[in-house]
Amino acid sequence: MPRSDEIDAAQGGEDVLEQAAEELRRPLRVDAALFDARVMDEVLRPRHRVRDAVRSLARKRSVSVSPIGALAAACLFAVVVSGAVMAIERVHAPELARRAPQLAGEPIVRFGFVAPRASSVALVGDFNDWDPKATPLRANAAGGVWSVDVPIRPGRHIYAFVVDGKTWRPDPAAPPAYGEDFGEPNSALTVADPGAQ
Amino acid sequence: MEPSDAALVATVLKGDSEAYAQLVDRYRDRYARFALQMLGNREDAEDALQDAFVRAYRSLRRCSEPERFGSWLLAILANRCRTAGGRRTLRERRFVSAEDRHHAIALDHPSDASAWREEIGKALSRLDADQREAFLLKHVEGLEYEEMAAITGAGVSALKMRVKRACDRMRRMLTEGDDAPVG
Repeated sequence: MPRSDEIDAAQGGEDVLEQAAEELRRPLRVDAALFDARVMDEVLRPRHRVRDAVRSLARKRSVSVSPIGALAAACLFAVVVSGAVMAIERVHAPELARRAPQLAGEPIVRFGFVAPRASSVALVGDFNDWDPKATPLRANAAGGVWSVDVPIRPGRHIYAFVVDGKTWRPDPAAPPAYGEDFGEPNSALTVADPGAQ
Repeated sequence: MEPSDAALVATVLKGDSEAYAQLVDRYRDRYARFALQMLGNREDAEDALQDAFVRAYRSLRRCSEPERFGSWLLAILANRCRTAGGRRTLRERRFVSAEDRHHAIALDHPSDASAWREEIGKALSRLDADQREAFLLKHVEGLEYEEMAAITGAGVSALKMRVKRACDRMRRMLTEGDDAPVG
């Protein structure tokens, strides 16, 4: 008889394994109230924060762009437009709009994507609950270059673009997010803490 | 009748975030056990589980089979445990200490069982992380190999090998007291 086959093992060894597994199957009791409160607090908080930040962005951004910020934005826009006819990979690494206004300590990051035939492009990521309706990109006048500015909390984030509401695309200009939890391709972005700079 | 996982996921996605608490309640204890056995430390286990729940919530739109929310969550948790476990060597930690298990498990278990629990915990801690994960998913969580493959990303034959090796080693440690470190 094979000695150590998983199923056909020596009887004594198998008994002890089954006893061990039975012991390990005993339920574990967690402090439910405390644990659930921690989870739900975390679950509910970021959604509100992003929403508030977007509202705040809508209110404030028109009054606080410095001349240098405007120049930087114009340069970036020119790069994006001129890059529209170039390889997609060269155009769109998300950039921290350092000179653009910052809201509540959250740096504003500009995301861009070239999709000349798309009718819509949306940004999805861990910062907006992966909601394809939350952060649409706007097309430029020519229609092929899409961009959006978003306040992003400092830290590492993963994100992707959703084209025409259904096709999930990583950012070709950003590092891929390896080893994440999901099957779809993602991109990685690390936003520095402005307070640490 | 309790709502199904799929119904709860749909409710959350429609905007009722509070409904997520029911999913947390449904999977908390079972997956806390898995995390504790993977990480050997209650605090790390609860952190990993909390992280998994929060990540799952934020990615809920990407749960393509909401009726299998539990498996999807377990895949996220297993990933979190791998990440957390990789940060520090498991052997540097306490593993499912008698104290933890006393607090964790019903108090009416006889105290003389604590040595046995500790022995199991030590044996488990000496397995490679991959083997420990495979052993727990198969023999504690009771999953089929196909489910394990979907959760871990490993192939079925590789998983069978991990389980076999884990079983061999666990059996040896628990019967012969062999506590030589793996690998």
